[in-house]
Amino acid sequence: MERELLFDSATWLVWLAPFVGVLAAGLTKRRDPVVEGDRVLRHDAAAILEHWAHGIGTAVLLVSGILLGLWFVPALVGSGEPVWATMDVHFAAAVVFLFGTFYYGANTLLEKKRFREHLPTKDAIGFTKRHYGLLLGFKKFTMPPERKYFESEKMAYILALASTVLIILTGLLKVAAHAVDVPVQAMAIVTPVHDIATVAMLAFFLAHVFFAAVLPMSWPVLRSMFTGYVDLEYAKHEHAGWLAELGYIEPGADAAAGTDDSEGNN
Amino acid sequence: MVDKDKDPAETAVPAEHAGTISRRQFLTGFGGVGLGVVLGGSLFKGFLLPDEVFAIPASGGYLLVDSKKCQGCNTCMMACSLTHHGVQSLSLSRIQVVQDPFAKYPNDKAISQCRQCPSPACVEACPTTALHVDKKTGVRTVDVAKCVGCQRCVNACPFDASRADWNFEDRHAQKCDLCLDTPFMDADGGPGGQQACVAVCPVGAISFTKDVPLQSDRGYDVNLRDAGWAALGFAIDDEGKVAPSAPATAPSAH
Repeated sequence: MERELLFDSATWLVWLAPFVGVLAAGLTKRRDPVVEGDRVLRHDAAAILEHWAHGIGTAVLLVSGILLGLWFVPALVGSGEPVWATMDVHFAAAVVFLFGTFYYGANTLLEKKRFREHLPTKDAIGFTKRHYGLLLGFKKFTMPPERKYFESEKMAYILALASTVLIILTGLLKVAAHAVDVPVQAMAIVTPVHDIATVAMLAFFLAHVFFAAVLPMSWPVLRSMFTGYVDLEYAKHEHAGWLAELGYIEPGADAAAGTDDSEGNN
Repeated sequence: MVDKDKDPAETAVPAEHAGTISRRQFLTGFGGVGLGVVLGGSLFKGFLLPDEVFAIPASGGYLLVDSKKCQGCNTCMMACSLTHHGVQSLSLSRIQVVQDPFAKYPNDKAISQCRQCPSPACVEACPTTALHVDKKTGVRTVDVAKCVGCQRCVNACPFDASRADWNFEDRHAQKCDLCLDTPFMDADGGPGGQQACVAVCPVGAISFTKDVPLQSDRGYDVNLRDAGWAALGFAIDDEGKVAPSAPATAPSAH
């Protein structure tokens, strides 16, 4: 029997995945971050799902895409079966990636604060200078009151957002070319743009993995991407601005403030 | 940069509940309808529509060769590469002259030219329709921009050597297009124009016809040995027994 690529035999899954993501977001009840005793809820189940669906999809897409031949890099897989197998892996990853991304996108449309919390603020440069100056050992720098996400992460988010949008738009056109006659001129633009966006995504991905998984300082947050929670003490040190936004007040400070008030009243 | 302060309007009336249909209801409905359309469309296409029948138009022309007349000079291969790619490379030629130094005439040379098959396996195998039938000329050719380099066409071609080639420099499939797309040739190519290999063969071992050849090796590898060939003192029959003075035979393709 003639072997068929999943891009041909199961193309419908590519079109289905975004709608499943949007529908799932509509049916999802989200939980906001909250301090619970000595720990803080950082990511609810939906955040964990959208992060790993997008992240694992991206990782497999990057590997299989590079194997298939990334624009100026020659293809690493040979002809025939290895290429088809790699294309099938690319297909499966694209479906997972599309679900994760559209699930995140729809969740963000429902609560714009989830989008805003990822965008850099006016503190971006100042906080990043202080944060990484401290990391590099400069004593004059102190830890800035970072919010839920570091300002440096938020700046990188812009790159991830732009490359994701480009990869999805061009990728869907590449899939459409399996079913309809996409003009040559369009494909001549689509293919290099897809590859350039992939290079941008690769840059973000490598930096993200290094700063969010390899560096020991990031391990508490990495753990929270599985459990949902970070320790309160960690949050106090690394995300003071976020705790303040959550309305957290040090118990001692509260009592002290109360004492001060009573003394003042007397 | 964004203002981290909350929008007062949004605080008063949550955005997802604004209007008669909330944003959540809209997105849930959008996702559900889209899911239904894709699933329904797939089921409809898969079970209710009849299998698609593709009528592939015939090519506007065909190359005929006479392997027994070929002298193995490879001029056709050089011309093919030169007119298509601007370089003389035997590896980039879409027509291949295969020579066996251990075989004796008439089995020592074979010209492998694309047959522009009526039911092209290469076209059917291509997952991206990069290898397609040109609508104007019927020529089976490669749209390089769509080629993903899977080489299914190379493997699908039933002939040896495969008439769908792998361009190892630009990493895409390529095949004989009867010189339809020859940026380095002054004359117009394609079925209505000139074919570089036909034009340069010094012994006339390659010919062009617009009629569909007989679908066998004999239909494409024909006797092109004519009076001019006889005048050189060479035999004009396949066995090499007919005297050069005998009348020339016409191509037996059609």
